[in-house]
Amino acid sequence: MTGETIGGLRVLAEARWPEPGDAAPPTLPGFVHSTFSPVVAAVADRCLTRRHGERPAPEPVAARTAVVLVSAAGDRASADHVRATVAQGGRPGPLFFFQSVPNSVAGHVAARWGLGGPVVCVAPTGDPLAEGTAEAELLCADGDADETLLIMIEQPPGDAGAAGPGEAPGTRAVAVLLGGGDTR
Amino acid sequence: MAERAGVRITGVHALSALGRGADAQLAGVLAGAPAFRPVGRFDTTARRVGVAATLPEAGALPDELAEAVRAACAAARLGPGERAVAPLLLAAHGGAGVPALARELADGCGLAGAPRAYTSACVSASTAVADAAALIARGDVDRVVVAAGYLVEPDQYALFDAGRALATDGAVRPFSAGRRGLLLGDGVAAVVLESAGAARRRGAPTLAEVLGWGRAGDGHHPCQPDPQGRGLARAVGAALRRAGLRPEEIGYVNANATGTGYSDAAEAAALRLAWGEHAGRVPISSTKALHGHALEASGLLELVVTVLATGHGKLPVNAGWLGPDEACPLDVIRDAPRPAATPYALSLNSAFGGANTALLVGAA
Repeated sequence: MTGETIGGLRVLAEARWPEPGDAAPPTLPGFVHSTFSPVVAAVADRCLTRRHGERPAPEPVAARTAVVLVSAAGDRASADHVRATVAQGGRPGPLFFFQSVPNSVAGHVAARWGLGGPVVCVAPTGDPLAEGTAEAELLCADGDADETLLIMIEQPPGDAGAAGPGEAPGTRAVAVLLGGGDTR
Repeated sequence: MAERAGVRITGVHALSALGRGADAQLAGVLAGAPAFRPVGRFDTTARRVGVAATLPEAGALPDELAEAVRAACAAARLGPGERAVAPLLLAAHGGAGVPALARELADGCGLAGAPRAYTSACVSASTAVADAAALIARGDVDRVVVAAGYLVEPDQYALFDAGRALATDGAVRPFSAGRRGLLLGDGVAAVVLESAGAARRRGAPTLAEVLGWGRAGDGHHPCQPDPQGRGLARAVGAALRRAGLRPEEIGYVNANATGTGYSDAAEAAALRLAWGEHAGRVPISSTKALHGHALEASGLLELVVTVLATGHGKLPVNAGWLGPDEACPLDVIRDAPRPAATPYALSLNSAFGGANTALLVGAA
C-alpha cells in the first residue's frame, strides 16, 4: 500500500499487528490488563519507525502530524473489567482511570514521537479505513495537520491477551501514515 | 484555497442538571448556583465522593439524545426533507454499542446517516463541531447535526473516583486557590450547523456564527496536559486565524477549566502563550462549576451555553471561587454575570491524550 494514494492522501508508511513472528505486544508501562493499548503503541511504533527511523519524528512535520485512532468497540477488555468490578461493589484500580479512553494511548504515541497535530478517536459505523481516511483528509485539507497517523484496531470480545504463551493476541491493528496529498 | 462558506448555528437544545432545554441552561448559568447534589442514580458508598450534577428526571441516554436532536431540528425549523440530507456526528463515550447508537439515532430522527461517532474523551463533541464546520465551510454539505451525550453512570464515576479526580469538598472551583478537582455532570445536547447560504435561502433563525475552530495536540503525556499549554495555545491561534479576529476582539472565554490544579494552570499558561499579557484582560469563566463535567458531551453543552450567554449579552460566573491562584492570572468572572463587551467568544476544551480544541463563535 505504501506509495499508493487513498482518499486523496499518499500512504507514506504502513504496519500491522501482528506481523509474522509477533507474539504478545511489548508491555506498555502505565497500561494494564488489556492488549488494546500495547497493540496500538506497537503498531504505531512500527509504522513511524518505517517512515522516520528513530524517535522523535523530525520537525517541522512532527508538529503537524495528527493521530487518528479508529475503533468501533474500543478497549473491550478494560471496559468489561471495570463494569464487572463496579457491579460487584468494588473499586477499579487507578490505572483503569487513565486508560479509560482511547485518547490516552493516542497521547502516548504522540508524546513518544513528538507529534503535535490533533488527537482524534472515532468509532466508525461503516468501513474503518474509509472513515479513518475521511477524518485524516479533513484534518489535512482544513489545515490543522499535514500528515496523519491513522490507527485502526479491534479487540474481539473477551480478549485480554494472547490466546496462549508465544501466540499472537487476538487484538489486531493496522497503522497507516498518510500525507503528502495536495488537498489544500 | 477556495473561499470558505460561513457557518451558522440555527438550532440548539441541551439538557443538564440546570434543567431541560436551552432556556433552562441560560437561566441556570446566569443564576450562578451550582447544581451538584448527592448521587441518587446508583450507590456511591464505596466511593470517596458522592455528589454530581444530575437531572433526576433524565431518561435513558438514547431517548435523551433523540429528544435533543428533534428539539434542535425543530428550533432550526428543519423540515423532513432538510433533515434527510443532514448527516449526524455523534459524540459519546466509546464502547461496543456506540456505532449502533449513532446509526439508530440518525435513522430515528430522519437524518442522513451517522458516518462516525467521536470517542475522543473530553474533546469528542468539540472535535465533532470543528469537523462539521470544516465540512460545511468547504462545501461538502449544507448542514450537519452534532449531538453529544453523557449521563452520570456508575462505571465512569468509579473510575474518576479511583483516579482521585473528583473534588472531595463537593464543589468545582476553576482557576481558584484551593481547588480540589472536578465533579461529573449530566449533559446531552444537539446543535444544527448550517452554511450561511443554505440558512439564508430558507430564512432560518440564526443564533450564532461559528467563525473559527482549531484542534491541536500537546505531544506531551498520555493523561496530563503540557504545563506550558502549547497544544491549546496552537488551537486558540488556529481558531482566531480562521475567524480573522484579533485577541482584543474576543469578549469571553468559556474555559475548559475542570477545577483541577495542574490542568487549570496549564490552560492559563496556554492563554498567556497565545495572547501574552492580554490573556489577563479577557473575561473568562468555566461553567463546569455550575453544570459539572459532562465528559464526551462537555464541548457541546458548553458551546450551547456560550452561544446563549453571548447572545443574551451576559457572561456567566465562575462559581466556587475562593481566591486568586498566582498560576492562573486571568480575569475570572466572579460574583455576578458581566455584560458582554463584544459578540465574540471562545469555548475551549482539553482531554486526555493532550487533545485540545478551540471553537470561536460570534453572537447573531
